[in-house]
Amino acid sequence: MPGLPLAASGLRLAFAGEGIIDLPELTLAPGTLTALAGPSGSGKSTLLYLLSGLLRPDAGSVTWAGQDLARLGESQRDRWRRRHAGFIFQNFHLIEELSPLDNVLVPVWFDHVSAKAARPRAIALLDQLEVPQRRAHVALLSRGEQQRVAIARALIGDPAVIFADEPTASLDAAAGQTVIAALRDLALHQGRTVLVATHDAALRAQAGTTVLLEHGRTRQSEATA
Amino acid sequence: MNPFPIAWASLRRNRFTAILFIAIVALTVALGIAISAQERALRLGSARAADKFDLIVAAPGSHNDVLFSTVYLDPSAVPLLDPAITRLLLEDDQADFVAPIGFGDAIGDAPVVGTTAAFVEHLSGGLAEGRVFTALDEAVVGALSPHAVGDHLEVSHGHGGATGTDADAAADAIAAGAAVPGGDGDHPTITITGRMQPTGTPWDRAVVVPIEYNWSAHGLGTGHRPGDSHIGPPFDPDSLPGLPAVVVKPVDVSAAYGLRGAYRTPQSTAFFPAEVLVELYALLGDATAIMSALTLAAQALVVAAILAGIVAILDLQRRQFAVLRALGASRGFVFATVWVYVAALIVTGAIAGLLLGWGVAAIVSELLANQTGVAMRAEIGSSEFRLVGALVALGLVLASLPAVLIYRRPVVDGLR
Repeated sequence: MPGLPLAASGLRLAFAGEGIIDLPELTLAPGTLTALAGPSGSGKSTLLYLLSGLLRPDAGSVTWAGQDLARLGESQRDRWRRRHAGFIFQNFHLIEELSPLDNVLVPVWFDHVSAKAARPRAIALLDQLEVPQRRAHVALLSRGEQQRVAIARALIGDPAVIFADEPTASLDAAAGQTVIAALRDLALHQGRTVLVATHDAALRAQAGTTVLLEHGRTRQSEATA
Repeated sequence: MNPFPIAWASLRRNRFTAILFIAIVALTVALGIAISAQERALRLGSARAADKFDLIVAAPGSHNDVLFSTVYLDPSAVPLLDPAITRLLLEDDQADFVAPIGFGDAIGDAPVVGTTAAFVEHLSGGLAEGRVFTALDEAVVGALSPHAVGDHLEVSHGHGGATGTDADAAADAIAAGAAVPGGDGDHPTITITGRMQPTGTPWDRAVVVPIEYNWSAHGLGTGHRPGDSHIGPPFDPDSLPGLPAVVVKPVDVSAAYGLRGAYRTPQSTAFFPAEVLVELYALLGDATAIMSALTLAAQALVVAAILAGIVAILDLQRRQFAVLRALGASRGFVFATVWVYVAALIVTGAIAGLLLGWGVAAIVSELLANQTGVAMRAEIGSSEFRLVGALVALGLVLASLPAVLIYRRPVVDGLR
């Protein structure tokens, strides 16, 4: 699936005692990998939640291909994420009691579709990402393998947009490189819109654009690669 | 939508807590089920036991005492029926048979009860083995008696207060509280000639002798003219002693009501066992209603406490639910996952409790049957299913509380 373009403007959100997001303009193009950088507390994660519809801005618009998430209700935003977005977290957030395959299938269970139809795709994704034991407990995998399971989970619905929150922060350098390569591939070769909050210099170096945040405002937006 | 794998994963993650919750629900349900099933077993068992005692005529006094002495062989000192009334009964053509009942002796722990051969046949519906007694020193035993046909047995006087052949003997036995050897008369050795079929009453453990044995052993004659050694009716009207109770089988239903009315006099009372039992059941029912209400309240409290525990456990898992929302799960999916989780605990606990309660009631019934001789069987009936159904329904409705609490949480709070 080709990526979706983002045009956000006049984005403002005051968040509980921690500061405020104040972003006059942000655009993302399909087929790009964008890094969201900045010191801790600069609002990277909060901006990610705003752009994915997990939070609603106090003012402004978050328009993905003409659809403004800021105007949608909670269940419509849930549906938008289900249709168009994949999420990757720093600590993977897999369900340890389930197998890698079942973890990949979790988003399929949200919908009224049969999980059977999605199984071959889940298996193919795990193969592509070179996750070894398909049937083993997910907790038995290495951290790098676990994050790759999480990436497969993000991709099971073939989303146009990928959000990743510090996807390499809890991995060693080698495992981090694999994840960075996968994210790059999703953007540059598969044409998805990939937005990554990160303070990993190696990841920033591979991103086409880095948006540098400070106290919730854009300090700098630069092309890096 | 398929919330089951994630609910199952949550159950496995907290499996010890889950087992504990299920056990608590099961024990609470079992308590309610056991009380309900046991109460019904007691009611049915005692009613069935009284079935063959169509109409009881006794001296004025407590119907309960007479009923317990006669049907359940639970001895108490009751006043004796005036022989003049017995005479009238024996001549009454509304009565199919009139069976005097006499107590006061024992063989070991087993009571020795005196009556007529006709009543033995009526109560037992034909003997299982041997023949009914035809002489004063012959006897038949109940189905559960350890004694065999052909055994010769020594009878001792008194049975922990069991009496009724005369007021003095009653006083003796009650004062002594145990067997009083000898008594006023002579206790010849008896020979067992037959065994009754199971009756589901304490008579199954008794040794049944001719009423004449009972009378003569207590120095009251035989109910026949001197020299007349035959057993059973007709009795000599002038030789009859007082009796604790007489069981009458009326010729038909209208005769039953006729006799019941006719023998409610200043000198006697007549009653159907069922009417006394109905009053006892009303009392028992009131007690059961109170206990049922208490156990239901306890069950509701247990469910509430468990829901509080579940909320605490799910709070620890709030990150997982936030992740699911970030991945696109609707609030409905989160609600369904939590609801399935809670429902699984409550339904499993309730089913386990139903089985456990039935088991407990079965054991209690068995113990009680051994103790009283009244056959009873605890069964799970519609009222037990209703009880469990009510609790499950309540649990399933209440299960939506934690579900709502969890899905109302802001997603981002759980992700931080």
